[in-house]
Amino acid sequence: MSRGLTATGIEVAFGGVHALRGVDVAVEPGKVAGLIGRNGSGKTTLFNCITGFVRPTAGRTTVDGVDVTSLPPDRVVKHGIARTFQTPRVDPRATVLSAVLCGFYSRVGASFVGSLLGVPGAWREEQRLHRRAEPILERLGLAELRGREVGQLSMGLIRLVEVARCLASGARFVLLDEPAAGLTAAEQERLAEQVRAVAASGVGVLIVEHNIGLVRSLCDTATALETGRVLCAGTPEAVVRDERVMRSYLGAIGDLAATEAAA
Amino acid sequence: MSFPGQRYLGPRPNTLIIAVCVLVALPVVLTRPVWTDSAVVLGVYALLGLSVGISYGQAGILTMSQGAFAAIGGYAAAILTTRFGWPPYADLLVAMALPAALAYGVARLVTRLSPLATALATLALGSVIEILIRNADALTGGYIGLAGIPSVGAINTPAGYACLAWGMIVVTVFLYENLMCSAYGRALNVLRVDQARARADGIDVPALMSAGFAVSAAVAGAAGWLYAHYISFLSPESLDTHISISALLMAVIGGAGYILGPIVGTLLFDGLTRLMPAAELQGFFYGAALIIILLAARTGILGLLAGLARRLRRPDATPAPRAANLSPQESLP
Ligand SMILES: Nc1ncnc2c1ncn2[C@@H]1O[C@H](COP(=O)(O)OP(=O)(O)OP(=O)(O)O)[C@@H](O)[C@H]1O
Ligand SMILES: [Mg+2]
Repeated sequence: MSRGLTATGIEVAFGGVHALRGVDVAVEPGKVAGLIGRNGSGKTTLFNCITGFVRPTAGRTTVDGVDVTSLPPDRVVKHGIARTFQTPRVDPRATVLSAVLCGFYSRVGASFVGSLLGVPGAWREEQRLHRRAEPILERLGLAELRGREVGQLSMGLIRLVEVARCLASGARFVLLDEPAAGLTAAEQERLAEQVRAVAASGVGVLIVEHNIGLVRSLCDTATALETGRVLCAGTPEAVVRDERVMRSYLGAIGDLAATEAAA
Repeated sequence: MSFPGQRYLGPRPNTLIIAVCVLVALPVVLTRPVWTDSAVVLGVYALLGLSVGISYGQAGILTMSQGAFAAIGGYAAAILTTRFGWPPYADLLVAMALPAALAYGVARLVTRLSPLATALATLALGSVIEILIRNADALTGGYIGLAGIPSVGAINTPAGYACLAWGMIVVTVFLYENLMCSAYGRALNVLRVDQARARADGIDVPALMSAGFAVSAAVAGAAGWLYAHYISFLSPESLDTHISISALLMAVIGGAGYILGPIVGTLLFDGLTRLMPAAELQGFFYGAALIIILLAARTGILGLLAGLARRLRRPDATPAPRAANLSPQESLP
């Protein structure tokens, strides 16, 4: 089997709702794959499915040829897949640094008992983790905020903290669910730069993004979903120009206009 | 306030604080026999409170079986020394390992349930252990109990036990703080707040929760070991569910999430209850204290102080303004 993260023929149903009906996506190492689609099209469900939070009724997910379908989330992480959540899931009282340190969990070598007893190896490893967190914080512009409580940051910064935590896991594939939502233009640019740098280091990125400009400048490939199906896949340029995709998004805008008019 | 895990391997502040307090207070306490005896009993309670802190404050398991774990530790000590002639140091390992193993096994089974169901399971576990102790006459002496438990080696005065008890507390705080300053401590904090987040971090939630509960049970077992050797007599009433509940109360009142919270709670609470004129009033007092804490300071006395300290340092800072928006409620089945 080929290298990369592939999900093929993924089907997910919640009761009577078919959230995904035979979706294929592939993420190559070192490449950024974009996932677009209007609200409710199944993007987050696809993430949940790949990362083991939701069991597909059909289809399979492989990482570099290894089948990870239906593994529990913590085992999926061990296969090198990390994710962020669309609504950041954070402990508002934790500091930025400790939130990022949490990302290292799957790579910790010290044992539970060793950590409890405070054996030198565990102390050294803890030091190493702190050292490794610094460049990640720095690259995302979070270094000055390391001692701040996450709950006191803006939503945009919280998303950056989540991305940093995700990167700390050392995953070979990272899934980012709308990481740019709520970010200022400058923060978006920093995020995009960081995603590019991560990809350049050989990591495959799957990113949900509504900002077409960002999709174009950032992604190598793109997939558009609508009501649980792949509408169109290919280069970002081709996908965003695709007539069905435009209609789907325009439809969404039309809906929005209608609801606003009604209100 | 110190948040476990954020500290760059700095000193262990909680260990330092408790070590200094013990070194300063013990010489004074030892000058009076009444105080010395109280110091031992409070030490046993403080250890139980710490065990609640690890279980409830960190792993998020509302435990009502710490008294039973202590009873297992105490009976292990009593049986091994009186019936099998073990030296009273060697039995400490068994007194800790036995409850730890039991706690780990039970937690693996029940932590998949809701927090409330898990709490009820610990209550049931405590009752079952009590019943077993009452009925295993041949081993435990049944209702009558076991007498003549030898003292711990050279330590045979109340003063000696007071030093032993508070030494054990310092060591426990040190180990506890080690854990909380490690990846596992951070992981415990994550899973207590948000299990889905924890799983996305790669945490095996049931395994880690169970490990935390096992450590907590081991500390309770050590408390029971100390109690058995000090009192030299053990019956089913010695360490029962009543003890479990008061240990829980003391930890919550002091601040279960803070390493030293349970110790503060124990000292304050027991100090106050000893001032109560009549024993009948104690139950009322327990209830009143719990209600006040739950209404006014859910994070306990230390949480209240930490909040005040934060406000003094940054008078303009609004307390966690976005916390409400961050409720981890994105629907995940
Ligand atoms: N846990 C769940 N239970 C029932 N239905 C669900 C669940 N999760 C998602 N759905 C449904 O599945 C469909 C896809 O939702 P999903 O969250 O994947 O969309 P999305 O593309 O991420 O949308 P958005 O852009 O709003 O984030 C929706 O119709 C949603 O209501
Ligand atoms: Mg979504």
